Amino acid sequence: MTGRLLLAALLLASPAAARAQDSLGPAPNGVRVGITYTPGTRPSVTVLPAPAALAVLDSVRAILRRDLDYSDRFEVVAAPSGATGQGGAPNYQALNALGTDFAVAVLPAVDASGAGQVEVQLHDVRTGTVRNRLTLHLPGGNGEAVRAAVHGAADDVVRWATGSAGIAATSILFVADGRLWRVDPDGAGVAMIPSAGRPTLSPAWSPDTRTIAYTAFVPSGRPLVIQDLATGSRQVVPGSEYGVNITPEFSPDGKQLAFAHGDENGTDIYLYDVARHCCVTRLTVGRYYDNLSPTWSPDGQRLAFISSRAGSPQLYVMSADGSGQEALAHFDFGSTGQTNGPEWSPDGQAVAFHREVGGVPQVFVLDLANRAVRQITGDGRNEDPSWAPDGRHLTFVSSRGGVRQLWIVDLETGRMRPLANTVGARLPAWSPRQSSAEAG
Amino acid sequence: MMPRYWRVAAPALVLLAAACTPKPTPSAATPVPPPAAPSTAAADSAAAAAAAAARRDSLAAQARADSLARAALALSHADSVKTQVQGQSADTAPAATASGLSAADAATLADAIHFDYDRADVAAGDQARLDRKLAILAAHPRLAIQIAGNCDERGSTEYNLALGERRAAAAKRYLVAHGVAEGRIAIVSYGKEHPLDPGHDEGAWAKNRRDDFVVSRGAN
Repeated sequence: MTGRLLLAALLLASPAAARAQDSLGPAPNGVRVGITYTPGTRPSVTVLPAPAALAVLDSVRAILRRDLDYSDRFEVVAAPSGATGQGGAPNYQALNALGTDFAVAVLPAVDASGAGQVEVQLHDVRTGTVRNRLTLHLPGGNGEAVRAAVHGAADDVVRWATGSAGIAATSILFVADGRLWRVDPDGAGVAMIPSAGRPTLSPAWSPDTRTIAYTAFVPSGRPLVIQDLATGSRQVVPGSEYGVNITPEFSPDGKQLAFAHGDENGTDIYLYDVARHCCVTRLTVGRYYDNLSPTWSPDGQRLAFISSRAGSPQLYVMSADGSGQEALAHFDFGSTGQTNGPEWSPDGQAVAFHREVGGVPQVFVLDLANRAVRQITGDGRNEDPSWAPDGRHLTFVSSRGGVRQLWIVDLETGRMRPLANTVGARLPAWSPRQSSAEAG
Repeated sequence: MMPRYWRVAAPALVLLAAACTPKPTPSAATPVPPPAAPSTAAADSAAAAAAAAARRDSLAAQARADSLARAALALSHADSVKTQVQGQSADTAPAATASGLSAADAATLADAIHFDYDRADVAAGDQARLDRKLAILAAHPRLAIQIAGNCDERGSTEYNLALGERRAAAAKRYLVAHGVAEGRIAIVSYGKEHPLDPGHDEGAWAKNRRDDFVVSRGAN
């Protein structure tokens, strides 16, 4: 008997079943499970070999190639032999024969006045033309600055080819070992950000990516701190010196900070006027229950949030003045598990969150048009999703690889990948696109 | 001739006004405003009222002194938070050294209480534990404590911070309802950041869903 069960278990654990774990399994009530993946519908792109053996060009090509791959907008293919002709120009005929849609050339800049200038070209192989080009000024010495510049160029290439920019020139904040870190979405550039308190929790980006807000554990309390990333200067949000102060989120215009303040009567959502450095407005009134995790709609008109008013924490929505509070995601009292960690998508169409299924948190996405809830994960513990600015990628904390770390899922293709250098991470916050000055 | 307290508190009031006034202190016991009611308006008007009271004659001198003292206290507390934020100090609870209690009383006072999953109400069995603390607190009126709410590893980091605050508040409410002065009890939430037992089963979780009691000011 036991043997037969074991055999059945082994059969179930075939590679195909393992691959499909995130889209199979019993669906909780009212939940549509899985991601639709239609292969072969994406354009293919190749990054052409450099004409000269210049190390800097090779590293630029490698970063570009990875960024294009991680955009999940293309099938990135290897350049066939004979793909380039004289001076690194693409051989359209050879590329076309292999069904390549786009080719990216990285060349020494034509009128390079000095070192560190590179031209990036996007070739439309079908029409045999250069669709667009840019000159990349590579800052000398600093590897981080070079990578940031190339990420910016990769996002431009994605925009030229598909109509909307990529997400390479972004940064993800997370907490590990009680400290605050940042990492680029390709897993490079991981760096600790000196912060107040230990642990530091719930980091959030301002829309211009110049400041962050977070909860600091200090002996006297749990204040909210707003910190300038360039200078490191810090400011305590007025009123957050007392009680527990958590889940800050800047409004889309950057002028207000929504957060939850808890005291002896429960936890409620407040707005702090960042622009005027003053004035705290209360939005919810709970008595012995909690309202927390506010997340703004992109138009700044509404806030989704978590409330335990009906017992277990669930997803609600209200106007930004606190009126019209109502349940947002359908739940059945007693059978729907705790819901937490909501984040409104940058395109306004969806809210991602995690909800416990059989006592284990899984990532879900609520489609606001029809209020349908879609389960995205099913393998291990998966929590605290955060949207990329393209509205199709999410980063989240997952134990699926055997250790807790960040993963990234593309909701369009279903592709999941671990984010390198994030072991032990939690509470990720994906930045908006960096300002062009920073991206080079 | 300016009264002494006014000289001390006037700069504090000016600074408070310039800082655009934090929310009322927990001890201010303001009524719960309706949704969207700007709570700063309450704080602003409280400050304005205090200032107005200060301008009036000496009938309200005592009330004036109290409110100004509160404002100054709020400011000094805010300053200490800012100092900690700038100084990146570690999060360590005040040491309960030299509490002036017998070893038995100290142990009784420190005895943790426990909670059901996702609940913050004091279990009937734990009321007796709190009652024993009541006797010690009554016998040592200078004694002040901090109640720290904790959660198990399940549930989100952030929700557990809110839940831990409610757990600490529940024990404080019980003690205050039974005669302990509110000002002698501070509460803090550790969420799920300080598990007592690092295990991942119900046995560990049950130990971690708790309120810890720490002496923050000794009996002597």
